[in-house]
Amino acid sequence: MPESLALLLSVAIFPGGAFALALGLGLKGIDRRVAARLQRRVGPPLLQPFFDLIKLSRKKTMVPDAACRPLFLALPAVGAASMLLAAALVPIANVYLPSPALGNMLVLFYLLVVPGMVLMLAGSASGSPFGAIGFSREMMLMLAYESPIVLVLVAAGLRAGGGDGIVLSLSDIAAYQQAHGAFLLDPAMWPTLLAFAAFLPANLGTVPFDTPEAETEVLEGPLLEYSGAPLGLFKVMSALKAVVVLNLGICLFFPATPDGLLPGLGAHLLKLLPMAAGVTLLRVSMGRMRVDQAFRFFFKWPLALAAAGIAAVALS
Amino acid sequence: MSLIRTLSSRSPWLYRINAGSCNGCDVELATTACIPRYDVERLGCQYCGSPRHADIVLITGPLTARVKDKVLRLFSEIPDPKVTVAVGICPISGGIFRDSYAVCGPIDQYLPVDVNVPGCPPRPQAILEGVAKAIEIWKSRL
Amino acid sequence: MSFLKVLFRNLISGPSTDPFPFGETFTPKALRGRVVYDASKCTSCRTCEQVCIGGAIRFDNTPDGRRFLLWHDTCTFCGLCVFYCPQDALEMTTDWHLSHTQDEKFKMVEHGLMPKAACAACGAEYVAVAPTAKAFAGYEPTPEEVEELRQYCPRCRRKEAAKIAAAHPPAIAADPDTPEQGQS
Repeated sequence: MPESLALLLSVAIFPGGAFALALGLGLKGIDRRVAARLQRRVGPPLLQPFFDLIKLSRKKTMVPDAACRPLFLALPAVGAASMLLAAALVPIANVYLPSPALGNMLVLFYLLVVPGMVLMLAGSASGSPFGAIGFSREMMLMLAYESPIVLVLVAAGLRAGGGDGIVLSLSDIAAYQQAHGAFLLDPAMWPTLLAFAAFLPANLGTVPFDTPEAETEVLEGPLLEYSGAPLGLFKVMSALKAVVVLNLGICLFFPATPDGLLPGLGAHLLKLLPMAAGVTLLRVSMGRMRVDQAFRFFFKWPLALAAAGIAAVALS
Repeated sequence: MSLIRTLSSRSPWLYRINAGSCNGCDVELATTACIPRYDVERLGCQYCGSPRHADIVLITGPLTARVKDKVLRLFSEIPDPKVTVAVGICPISGGIFRDSYAVCGPIDQYLPVDVNVPGCPPRPQAILEGVAKAIEIWKSRL
Repeated sequence: MSFLKVLFRNLISGPSTDPFPFGETFTPKALRGRVVYDASKCTSCRTCEQVCIGGAIRFDNTPDGRRFLLWHDTCTFCGLCVFYCPQDALEMTTDWHLSHTQDEKFKMVEHGLMPKAACAACGAEYVAVAPTAKAFAGYEPTPEEVEELRQYCPRCRRKEAAKIAAAHPPAIAADPDTPEQGQS
């Protein structure tokens, strides 16, 4: 059964699983370090997210009396598992092509919704009023940022289809760009790119769109009642999500890499760094938006840009 | 096993409990995180909003009668292993509020305190020193 | 967009963090830190105990003599005791390394003992607190002369001080118009 073994490997080791987790935690460490440097601090060690995770695995897990215990404990695992699968769904040009058996863009879109859903359910399952506030904020924010991302994916699919229908496979979109040039350099795709850039920090849950997990307002909202290993699983989930979303951005807009496994992987990592640095810069330089401001923002600019992107693709 | 212990001791998350403090010590605690000169994040520390995420508890204030029950409940919500640091003279001895009818402290009558950082308020370096001592204790409990 | 300039400048100029828990830090000269006590200068007037805001200072009598106690764990470093001490027996240092583990809590104390002694003149037992120049009322004694009083009990001190002062008549003749300074 080499086919199923390869599938298993791609989910558990590379590019999902262990590799994506290490990459995500590494990016998180770089993010914290760069943020500290931008504030003239020294910052934590680069491996700090790994230390955090090891520590969380050794802490006692507490479940509140008011919580729904099975749901409360199962949700972090569901979230982390969904992201594990999603990490194996995004192709890395010249390095990794996901097996069609895993699914296409639509599956990825559904999987990207799971972390938000998990956070919402976790917030309400914890029985804490802060969790409930986090729930409602997460829901509003998800409603706001999910509509642009649908249009972004549709625009990319249409563009790659080249006039005859929509391409749903991310591998095909990446292959189209390697043949016809990256979407990054395609003026018709620029509005879509901007819409994706706005979606990125919202999905990653960083400032200015970290309203659901704002520790100064709602005490980390849905994560408030979590401790120990389940909290660690949430950290795993968000690290994996960062990798998935950044990989998706690279795949959608500039997948071209040099031939060969190692050069391709190196180029991919080099592309990840400026994107992560951009998110960090945004995080450091901005304050947190109120949830209604974020909601209005997403229904104004990214949605308009994404719609304009589709129009531009359809017209060109 | 000792490697894992060493690695996990490098990630102590801090949690502040204000047990009726005048806010002087809280300001000094905030400077350790917010002012680049003191940057407590170098030790792997980060201030967290929820008691469930805490490893090192920093208590300020003389434990006034009004907050006593709430502080005790909050303390019990912090998962083990944990280390308690009393910051400022108020939690350690009652300080200038000692023997007041409104004050129940010193706090070590109710909670197991591990490290004391005297001062009114202590300077940020002294707090960092206390946190470093607390990390040593925490390491032995992990 | 000026904040971007600030961020960029921060990135270029590097961290401004003090190396403290891993290295040396600075201590301002005027920092009010641990209070130290010199029992040999103390007259046991107990002004410090009176002005202490945190109730950190206590005097008590023990079989060995009078004991001075200052508990750093309730000292606010306000400096009132140092300010009011007429003898400069209390001094503020810049030492701020006061954090300690719980088992040392009640060892964070500044001790001082003014021992009991037998008076050199009358033989009575007394607490040998520091003598002061004020006992000489009007005469400016040398430090040695002040120190000499330490071996006498309070009652004998007055006599001895009067003897020393009488042996040194005022160097400048008193103005006949003004009443003479009282010398006992």
